[in-house]
Formats: sequence, C-alpha cells, structure tokens
Amino acid sequence: MRVYLRYAFKETFSNLWRNRMMTIAAVLTVAVSLSLVGGALLLKQSAAQASASWQRGTQVRVWMSSTATPGEVSSVKTQLAQMPIVKSCYYTTQLQDYNEARSTVPIDEFQALKVADMPTSFRCTPTVPTDALTVISTFLHQPGVLTVTAPVQQIREMSHTIRILQVVFLALAGVLLLSASVLILNTIRMAIFTRRREVSVMKLVGATNWFIRVPYITEGFIQGLLGSGVAMLAVWAFHVWYPLHNEFALDAAKVWGTNIVVLVVGAFIGSVGSAVAIRRFLDV
Amino acid sequence: MIKFENVSKTYKNGTPALTNISLDIEKGEFVFLVGASGSGKTTFLRLLLREELPDQGRILEAGRDIGSLPKWRVPYLRRNIGCVFQDFRLLPNKTVFENVAFALEVIGRPRSTVDNQVPQILDLVGLGTKSDNLPSELSGGEQQRVAVARAFVNRPLILLADEPTGNLDPTNSESIMALLERINRTGTTVVMATHDKALVDRMRRRVIELDRGELIRDQVRGVYGVEEGLAI
Repeated sequence: MRVYLRYAFKETFSNLWRNRMMTIAAVLTVAVSLSLVGGALLLKQSAAQASASWQRGTQVRVWMSSTATPGEVSSVKTQLAQMPIVKSCYYTTQLQDYNEARSTVPIDEFQALKVADMPTSFRCTPTVPTDALTVISTFLHQPGVLTVTAPVQQIREMSHTIRILQVVFLALAGVLLLSASVLILNTIRMAIFTRRREVSVMKLVGATNWFIRVPYITEGFIQGLLGSGVAMLAVWAFHVWYPLHNEFALDAAKVWGTNIVVLVVGAFIGSVGSAVAIRRFLDV
Repeated sequence: MIKFENVSKTYKNGTPALTNISLDIEKGEFVFLVGASGSGKTTFLRLLLREELPDQGRILEAGRDIGSLPKWRVPYLRRNIGCVFQDFRLLPNKTVFENVAFALEVIGRPRSTVDNQVPQILDLVGLGTKSDNLPSELSGGEQQRVAVARAFVNRPLILLADEPTGNLDPTNSESIMALLERINRTGTTVVMATHDKALVDRMRRRVIELDRGELIRDQVRGVYGVEEGLAI
C-alpha cells in the first residue's frame, strides 16, 4: 500500500508537471466556468434574500380617524386580535405617529402638523403577506376607520419580478455548470487521449484498473481544486468590488457558502471527469 | 503450460482469425510462430494475453481456463506473462530504469526489491550504464533490450514476443535472440511470432506455422519454410 501511495503521489505530480499546458488549460476552464456559476449563484441568493425581506416587511395599517370614539377603537382592536390571519398587531398613539412623521414627511409639511391632528393606527403583520388584502376589505368600511393601507400590490409585482430573476439566475448557473462540465470533461479527455499509449503499456504489464485510474483521478481532482480556487477568488472579488446594496446585500457567510459549493463542484467535476474520461482506455 | 483446445476466433467483420486450433506448449519450451501477415499470429498472442476471447474452444494457461477468468483477474494473469513487441512500447517520458521498475511497481513490489532487481536485469541485457537515459536516447536494439528487461524483470512463466526483431538489424536481432534464449534457459516458456527466416532456421526450435488462421505445421526443431522443413 505504501509503495502504491508513493507511486500514485509521484505519478500525479509528475503528470501535472509534464502536461503542464494541459493542466493550465483544464485549470483555466474550471476557473472561468465556475466563476460564472458562482456569480450566478450569488445573484440568485441575493434576489431570494431581497424578496424574503420585503415579504417579511409587509404590514397592514388600519388608520383610525382622529374623531374615532374609544369604543370604535377597542372594537377594531378586538376584531384584529381574533383574526387568525393576523399574526401580530400593535397600536400606535398619536404621539408615536407624530414622531414617525417627523422622519417621513417633508419638513415644511411636518411643521404644519399638530399631534392632535394625527390619526392613531394599528400596525398588523399578516401571517401570510397576501392576507393583507382580507384585512383591508374587512376594516375599510368599519366605523371610526379612516383607511387601511398595505403595500401589497407593489410587493406582489416586485416579488414576481424577483422570482423570475431567481429562476433566470438559477437556470443560468445550471447551464453554465453543464457547459463547464462538458468543457472540463473534454479537456481532461484530450489530456488522457495523448497518454492512451501509456495506459495500454500499463495494462500490458498487469496494472489493475484502479492502479492506473487513481493517479489520473487525483490529477483531475487537483486540477479541479486549483480551478475552483481561482473561481473562489473571482467570486470573492465580485462580492468585494461590486457589492450589492440594501436588501440585496449578501453577508460573508452566504459568499463563503457559494464558494464552498464552487469548490466542491470543481473537485467533483475534476475527479469524476477524469474517471469518466479514462474509462474507455481501460477497457482492454 | 499453454493448451489450446479447438480454439476459433472470428472478428466482427466476419474474417476468421483462427480456426479450430489445438496444441500444447510445455513449460520451458521455445516456440516460433510463423506465417504470412494476417495468418493469425498476432491473434494467437492476443488470445494468450486475454486481450481477446475465443469464440469457441478453451485456452488453458498453467492449467487454468483463461476464458473463465473474471475481468478483474486479468491483470493478475498478465503479471505472469512478459511481452515484447516490434515497436518496443516503452514509456517515452520515463528513464530506462523507471520503465523497467514500472513493471515491478505495478505488482506492488517494495522499493528495496525494485532497487535491487532493476540494475541486475539491466546488467543482464547489457544496459547497466544507460539506466538514466530516456528511450529516445537509445538505439532501436537498446530500446528492445529495455523492453525485454521489462518483460522479464518479474520472472514471468511465459514470455510472448511479437516480431521482436522486426525493426532491428541482424546484429541487434542476434543479441535479442541471445537474450530470449537465455531467458528461456531459466525455465520461462517463450512464444515468439516472427518473419525472420534466418533466425528460425538457425535456432532449430519448435515451429508452429499458421496459414489464414489454420494450423498447418507443428514441427519440433523446425525451420521457417515448409520446403526446408520437409527436406529434413
């Protein structure tokens, strides 16, 4: 076993060095392909994250008119508390709304506002974002209710667009991965084709298939690792130099997650590609 | 050592390569396989190496039917068979030493055995001083001697040679033949396919002649051509 490990190790590295042009070609192919795959995966995650964060933020506000009686307010409150589609609700006083308006309303308009003018409101989070519509229709015409608002339509359109984007990015990553696999397989196959004579000599002196295969597989594995290493740098550079903002911004953990996928895919394609490529030359 | 029992082999395009061959080759024999190109000599050797399987009949090597060997056992069969070819088949990017050592590494011999046996066998074939050369730096005769060294280094029971002198001048052919004879004297069975009339006639060993896949002559201490054979 020790003899073999030493042989396989020596053979792997001497092959990598001897066929260095092919090694470089394979490494670059993996690197370029997987950079694109990694980039597409990043964008897909970013889109998914933004969409989720918008949906989480969906709130329905039931505005009470400033003339609403305490009875009307408490009636609305009870109904909201009893609705199963409403996850949580809290009541904001006139003062709280006034303070909030300070940052949301243009300064000259704000100066004209008085605390007593402010409507009070219930801020409710529906269990499912689309249930906001039911909340609106239930409370819109109740006594004491000024209006009910929810950014449902906008969110729905945005989510729809984002979902399409997600699918596009995922499909892009899939297609890139497929073409990367084919390119890598082809490069490895070319590298092995130039050495088919060597393989036939090995078979002749009684080498088992695994004996022949292992150095080629480790060679492919190393090429895959090197290539995906470069791709990881590219993905990281994309994250650092062209950062995505706001809801789209990805944290380092997600980037590393993507990079791990890139690494695993690279190493897998490299080794399995070699194993597949060498198979036909072993059948003697 | 080798036994063919009614062996026939037809290639996929319908060409019969061997037809109903039966023969016995004893341990330690030296056998010439002669016949025109396309007579089935190479198929005969390929069957012995189990690169091909017979369509009919059985081939026994050391008492074992090699047709019934599972595929994964084939490498172990080949470890008992040394091979020498007309085109040498050396690994071009390995040195002479590494080419010979390779045959031992493949069967998992420890480094000490490799370091011990390879120089011995290289001395035997007269290439002790060229162990660090690449095959491309050697003459044809020298390359073939490396191939013989590689074939013999793990002391196989059988040595197959497919026109080993086909690319060599008479002097080099003689030295290769001398080597094969020497190997044969150690008890290794040698089967050699050849077109070299002079060699066969001089050696006077068993001659098996094939013609279009049929065994037409099996003669102890024979010569290359039929006429001369009859004249004895």
